[in-house]
Amino acid sequence: MGEPGKHRILMVSDFFYPNFGGVENHIYYLSQCLIKEGHKVVVMTHAYQNRSGVRYMTNGLKVYYVPWKPFLMQNTLPTFFGTLSITRTILIREKISMVHGHQAFSTLCHEALMHARTMGYKVVFTDHSLYGFSDVGSIHMNKVLQFTLADVTQAICVSHTSKENTVLRSGLPPEKVYVIPNAVDTAMFTPAPERLSRDEIVIVVISRLVYRKGTDLLVEVIPEVCRLHPNVRFIVGGDGPKRVRLEEMREKHSLQDRVDMLGAVPHAKVRSVLITGHIFLNSSLTEAFCIAILEAASCGLLTVSTRVGGVPEVLPDDMVVLAAPDPTTMVHAITRAIYMLPQIDPQDMHNRMKKLYSWPDVARRTEIVYNRALKCSNPPLLDRLSRYLTCGTWAGKLFCIVMIVNFLLWRLLQLWQPDKDVEVVPDIQLWKSQHEETPFGYFTIQTQSGIRLHRRKWFRMVLIAPRTIFGGLGTYGMLKWFFLFGAEHQYLCG
Amino acid sequence: MEASISGSSSPTHPKWRKVVYGGMQPGFGDNHTDESFLEEMIMNANVVKRDLLKVVLDAVSISQYLCIVSLVVLVWTYTLTNTLTEKYLLLLNVSLLGSGFFILLLTADMIPFNLLLNYLLKNTFFITALYMLSPIYHTLTRSISSNSIWALTASLLILHLFLHNYSGSTVKAPGALDNPTLTSNISLNASIVASLLISSRLPSRLHVFAIVLFSLQVFLFAPLVTCCVKKRSFKLHICFSLQLLVLTLIFTYQLHKLLFILLLGIFVFVNLVCPYWLIRIQEFKFEINGPWDEAKLCFNITE
Repeated sequence: MGEPGKHRILMVSDFFYPNFGGVENHIYYLSQCLIKEGHKVVVMTHAYQNRSGVRYMTNGLKVYYVPWKPFLMQNTLPTFFGTLSITRTILIREKISMVHGHQAFSTLCHEALMHARTMGYKVVFTDHSLYGFSDVGSIHMNKVLQFTLADVTQAICVSHTSKENTVLRSGLPPEKVYVIPNAVDTAMFTPAPERLSRDEIVIVVISRLVYRKGTDLLVEVIPEVCRLHPNVRFIVGGDGPKRVRLEEMREKHSLQDRVDMLGAVPHAKVRSVLITGHIFLNSSLTEAFCIAILEAASCGLLTVSTRVGGVPEVLPDDMVVLAAPDPTTMVHAITRAIYMLPQIDPQDMHNRMKKLYSWPDVARRTEIVYNRALKCSNPPLLDRLSRYLTCGTWAGKLFCIVMIVNFLLWRLLQLWQPDKDVEVVPDIQLWKSQHEETPFGYFTIQTQSGIRLHRRKWFRMVLIAPRTIFGGLGTYGMLKWFFLFGAEHQYLCG
Repeated sequence: MEASISGSSSPTHPKWRKVVYGGMQPGFGDNHTDESFLEEMIMNANVVKRDLLKVVLDAVSISQYLCIVSLVVLVWTYTLTNTLTEKYLLLLNVSLLGSGFFILLLTADMIPFNLLLNYLLKNTFFITALYMLSPIYHTLTRSISSNSIWALTASLLILHLFLHNYSGSTVKAPGALDNPTLTSNISLNASIVASLLISSRLPSRLHVFAIVLFSLQVFLFAPLVTCCVKKRSFKLHICFSLQLLVLTLIFTYQLHKLLFILLLGIFVFVNLVCPYWLIRIQEFKFEINGPWDEAKLCFNITE
């Protein structure tokens, strides 16, 4: 590696495998595609239960599960400076040239971006969500986002609506914000081999059953649709606090034989549920992008969705029926979709999706953003402080103090453990072009013979690792890391 | 409409569309910011233009309740200084109870006879219980030093005023559906504790009974009565409030001049300065709505 034009990227987010969702998917696929383009990608996330330390995923995607416990909704406790030491060590160890943070909810992402900026790295941030401006939670989140984005080199959003939202929330100049959508792995989401008969029309719903996903809307819509169309059946996949309401509705209207409740559907099984239906119903009340629609469309389903957030931008008009989020319009939309069904060819739809969305395209577009970010100048701390000052009368000063303290801590760390003392990890070319024809192995961890050849080098690294990685954590941290790295070594060699 | 727009531009330069499918749009970078950027943003959609006079009149409810609480404190003070004897206190109680019921009967539309009887019965039980408990209240907080009692009472009253529900009443009129909020309940309890604290500084059990009954009557039912009056006629409400205001100011003037000035200052602040302030800062209101907002459901969720 090290060739010109190739980046060494650190992806940071609290959300990563084994957790599941849009952000996790995005990071994984983007990293895989970037690795194929010849870049080096390392992922940094927090520990999930006992999954802590370093793990490898398909094609040598290295993941640092930092031993930082999540405290709320998979987020780490915000400590501002707690992650400085480990972020610095990872940045130096992996010779990172670019830090890419994901998701505004992620505290780890905010902290790592702050440290990276302090150390003068170029920083890119991807926002995956929408936020209002009215409630206390949003106001607080917006302030935090403003802090992170005040000094970010480039930002990426997943839809145009999301870009408008991010620009408003952070006050970033719009030309620094790129719109790069999510994509879908069309090879994974293929239509059913045989076309389903249309004697009985099956409508599939797969979502978490929570308020924001519009489960209450479903409760109103399903009985009405069942009343109007006697040949319609519903399959509801997903679990959540609102599941009880759906079940109550099913009993109240005696629809037990027409509404199937599957409970939580693991992501690997989503396709098998999707291909049993004709129409996919999305009832979200807010959505920045909605990958579920893409997956359904890729499986050849006609989508009916609420017209919220970035959803109208996601699919061409003839592949989706949109409706305002109220029950009557939703029922009308479903009726229209049922009449549209004879003109829909799932295979044709799948082929169109292949052209519309692909992860390599997303990766190429992200690469352009990286290249632009690298060309940006790197002003000294004093100039950057003025940007923070403009964030607000009180918040601005607070942000400045945080940045100054962080800078001092970084200098202190440098004195304590100079950069040259941090052992650099040797690069291993795990990825060979032999896998070109197969699409991404889906979160499978492949061990390849390539690793065995490097055994000795690895062993040395493993011994050094605890000392270098955690200068600052004390004996306990060192011991913990030693065992973790030991585990890594064991895993690789055994 | 879309067809006409695309028809007018030249075919070599396709128009930028607000979509994310199909990869990068030819001729436009990913950071392209179209003219339509933030087109759907709506600013200050829900902002109400307020009228100064209306705000001032609405603020009268607050000063009215301030008056009521000040009057209660005045009665406490006069009782503690023995200016007001227990006989007059009991007379005051009875007259308050009677007039309160009278006003309720006049303002509320048709209270059934049974309900009224029920009320009277409950009130009798309540008053008897209070009478039997007054020896306990008399000695309950006796061991606490007087300074602590004054400080606690003052802070509890401030808490009460701060959390009080000025737009309604914690004790509900018959047939009211909505439940009182947590803060208004805390406020009510604070006022009751304050009156119990005061009662331990009184000379006799009859005093205790009279004062606690008086405080409870006022704190529990005054908001209900004023609420009913306000609902019946706004003019009557204003007249009533003005009378209370004058009464309070006269009594306070007799008690202490500095307190009088302080109270007057508070009334001016609440009734004139605050409404003006509110109208002024309305200009800085900046509310943003747009497609990114969470959709609101147009029906009620019945859990």
